[in-house]
Amino acid sequence: MIMPLIKGLQITISHMFKKPVTLQYPTERPDVKPGFRGLHALNVSHDKAKCVACYLCPTVCPAKCITVEAGEDANHDKYAAKYEIDMLRCIFCGYCVEACPVDAIRMTEQFELANYSRADFTYTKDRLLEKK
Amino acid sequence: MVNLTIDGKQVAVEKDATIYDAAKACGIKIPILCHDKKLHPFGGCRMCLVEVEQMKGRLIPSCTTPVTEGMIVQTTTDEIVKARKLVLELLLLKHPIDCPVCDAAGDCDLQNLTYEYKVNMNRFVDEKFNHEIDYENPLIERDMNRCIHCGKCARICDEIVSYGAYTFINRGIEAKMGTEFDGPLNCEFCGSCVSVCPVGALNSRPFKFKARWWALQKTKSVCSYCGTGCQLTLGSKDGKVLTTIYDENQGFHNGQLCTRGRFGYQFVNSDKRLTAPLIRKNGKLQEATWEEALAEVTSRLSAGKSDPASVAALATPRLTNEELFLFEKLFRGTVGTDNIDHSAGFAHEALTKGAVASFGVAASPAEIADVQKSKLLLVVKSDAYETHPVIGFEINLGVKRKGIALRIVSDKKGKLTRLPGAKTTVHAPGSEVALFNALCKSVIDQGLAVEGVAGLDALKAAVADASAEKAGVTAEEIAALAKDFASAEKALIILPIGQGYPGHNAALANAAANLAILTGQVGKEGAGLLIMGEKNNSQGAVDMGIYPKGTGLNAAAILDGCANGNVKTLFVAGENPVVSYPNRKKVEKALENVEFMVVSDLFLTETAAMADVVLPACSFAEKSGTFTSLGRRVQNVRKAIPAVGLAKSDFEILNAISQALGGAGYNNQGEVFTEIAATVPAYKGLTQACLKDEGAVYPVALSAKLVPVAAKAAAPAAGKLALVTGSALYHCGTMSRFGEGPMYVCPDAYAELNVADAAALKIGEGDQVTVTSGTGAVQVAVKVGKRVPQGVVFSPYHFGEGSVNTITDGSEVTYVTVAKK
Ligand code: SF4
Ligand code: SF4
Ligand code: SF4
Ligand code: SF4
Ligand code: SF4
Ligand code: FES
Repeated sequence: MIMPLIKGLQITISHMFKKPVTLQYPTERPDVKPGFRGLHALNVSHDKAKCVACYLCPTVCPAKCITVEAGEDANHDKYAAKYEIDMLRCIFCGYCVEACPVDAIRMTEQFELANYSRADFTYTKDRLLEKK
Repeated sequence: MVNLTIDGKQVAVEKDATIYDAAKACGIKIPILCHDKKLHPFGGCRMCLVEVEQMKGRLIPSCTTPVTEGMIVQTTTDEIVKARKLVLELLLLKHPIDCPVCDAAGDCDLQNLTYEYKVNMNRFVDEKFNHEIDYENPLIERDMNRCIHCGKCARICDEIVSYGAYTFINRGIEAKMGTEFDGPLNCEFCGSCVSVCPVGALNSRPFKFKARWWALQKTKSVCSYCGTGCQLTLGSKDGKVLTTIYDENQGFHNGQLCTRGRFGYQFVNSDKRLTAPLIRKNGKLQEATWEEALAEVTSRLSAGKSDPASVAALATPRLTNEELFLFEKLFRGTVGTDNIDHSAGFAHEALTKGAVASFGVAASPAEIADVQKSKLLLVVKSDAYETHPVIGFEINLGVKRKGIALRIVSDKKGKLTRLPGAKTTVHAPGSEVALFNALCKSVIDQGLAVEGVAGLDALKAAVADASAEKAGVTAEEIAALAKDFASAEKALIILPIGQGYPGHNAALANAAANLAILTGQVGKEGAGLLIMGEKNNSQGAVDMGIYPKGTGLNAAAILDGCANGNVKTLFVAGENPVVSYPNRKKVEKALENVEFMVVSDLFLTETAAMADVVLPACSFAEKSGTFTSLGRRVQNVRKAIPAVGLAKSDFEILNAISQALGGAGYNNQGEVFTEIAATVPAYKGLTQACLKDEGAVYPVALSAKLVPVAAKAAAPAAGKLALVTGSALYHCGTMSRFGEGPMYVCPDAYAELNVADAAALKIGEGDQVTVTSGTGAVQVAVKVGKRVPQGVVFSPYHFGEGSVNTITDGSEVTYVTVAKK
């Protein structure tokens, strides 16, 4: 009866002398490892989003949270007139990045995505472009 | 039958089959790029190479090699795969490979094969093509950098469409699929080339970048323009119809469509669609709720029940059979009026009166399949091509592939008259009946009439004074035509009818039927008379009895009734009499005068704008039901998208009114079809489920008899031109005006003049002229050409502005003067 109690205490006490595994967030910041899949960003080249609105990312997305609408620009080229990610549904699988044939989308290290209203979780093209 | 072995499987096929056909027949797929089942073998791409035991040492293209007895074929060996990979590598050498922005991606044969054969590197290097891309054309975008030189576009345009817009230009690596003088494409825009292009070299411009092929919801339905009843697959996404998808296995026409079917679908999601009911308050149409609108309509109709003769109803033959059946039941049954009609009073008399008198049924004795089975086609008016272009393709194919003789009797020339071996008899405008009577007389005189047909003596007497001169043609022409027709093994008369052809009435149907009956060209396959109703469900409207049967008023009389106050309540389901009926002023006056008019339509048409209550209706893409096309084929129409705005289908509208008036009510349109199958004799035993994708042709029991008709004496007015109306190729009725495609290529009303007349009047192409008749005057632009003979003016009737019906009065020919504005 007393033995398990002592065993338990032993573990507790041993931990008092070990380095804690928890992080004192937000005063302490985590060290984000390469390959981390955070908020998306649309890559830019020649002052324009690289995305050519090929619709592969919305097609591959298992959460169906990407909305793309293609447009035709003055040079008759295809571009994303609308590019939106519903971050509430995104599961951060990274398939969109993998599917993109033109390296137009990446995932950043940004993980602090809390917000006050549902609408704010809709990341429009402008918001996704901001972080270069 | 020839026996051969393919990949170890024994097959027996017809002796004119190719190895490719034989493999297909036993379920073995050989990859192809340049082959198309509808076209002649070409053998240009070498994708379909196979190995034949008896021809060892080289690989054989399976799509051009006929089978021989005992052949042993291998379709996939390492060597073959290597050869096919080489073909692909060479094709990809100069190909831009811009799949991410190419609309063909997902439905591209080159892309699919590249993936299937794992061509992920290329042994060769070369510069990419740098051809200029045609962005100017409003309907077809041509990017010849992506072209793989399969030649399908040129072949389909030549073999089936008979237009011949493309040909290869230059040689070797410079070779390119080009147009006339490498200039802009200016053709009839049927889109056939776009549909068969295996890659993204030819694209539909209106659909450009709209959606990916794989994201489209595909719904099989039936075209809602003309009476041909082409089947089509609607590609929709997010509640919008975005395109029509080509399916080479659909319908008798193998997925071929005309410009209206292919590029005219945008009316469905046009931003001009009505989305809420409108009620006239203080003289202005204002938005209202459905409850208000329907209450208004039902109270008027229930008041009308006590005086049914004061109620009249017009329906468009674009509605489904179910809707038309309900329409008939509501007005003839519940309200108790016989004043119901569709454009029958003007346009479908050839069926409702003509065919009934001659054959005892209100339908064509022939069906579409008879066109290709015939030995001689006699087409009334070259316009048959404009009104029913895909039937035109059938005629092209029959004439060019099967050597069917083609005879045309017309008041002008046209595309059909240029087909090989076609003989055209150009007669005086409006003299069709006189011409057929002269033909009958000639048949009798030449002793070619079959013995003992009912009514022969009466006909003989009636045509005794018929002569070629009365139709403005030579006696030799008539004699030759009569002889050819009578002595052909199987001869079929093709008669297009519709609102554009006031002369194609019951009398003409009888006159044409007389010729067929007199020569024994009825009651057998490939012969008889094919009456081609104008609209998608013209035949259905006739079958559902949408015309006055007893003492009721027909469409023309209904309008007179509106004008003189006898008709007080008018219900219009989808018709647009203001533009499409003759004598616009008179129609407008009548509609202004009627006490209460309800219009249900997709758009605020010229007619709807005059109504007291306007109900927003659904297009064919928003509802299910059946259409009956010309040649009596009943086909399933399927809902592809939800209703636009607050629109309701005419079924829902009529059902609600019917229930409110204490009439029949149904839970869904399917129940109505069950009732149709039980009460309309021709539809007996049909169910929507058994119609499946291909539909069913209902049978007719003919009792043919000769019906003598007298030709009206033509009274040409000196110094005037004869105006004949009709359809423009890009339009059908007044609905196509709301489709972007047709409006890009043919946006405005026009009048077509002969070069000689134009020169005499000092009028040039594109000039604005005033055309004046006894009824009124209208201003339109002029087209000058050699299609119409001297003394004749042609003008299509579809347009609201410069509407030719402003100056017509319903007679076959309107005599007009034309003067520069
Ligand atoms: S996969 Fe890339 S190019 Fe295609 S739509 Fe997505 S981000 Fe744009
Ligand atoms: S034609 Fe086919 S292979 Fe070529 S870019 Fe378009 S989709 Fe890709
Ligand atoms: S659209 Fe029709 S007519 Fe024009 S080039 Fe293509 S196939 Fe020929
Ligand atoms: S344009 Fe298309 S159909 Fe025509 S040859 Fe080129 S690949 Fe073939
Ligand atoms: S308009 Fe007539 S011919 Fe053209 S696609 Fe439609 S049904 Fe076929
Ligand atoms: S498909 Fe046979 S050679 Fe092209």
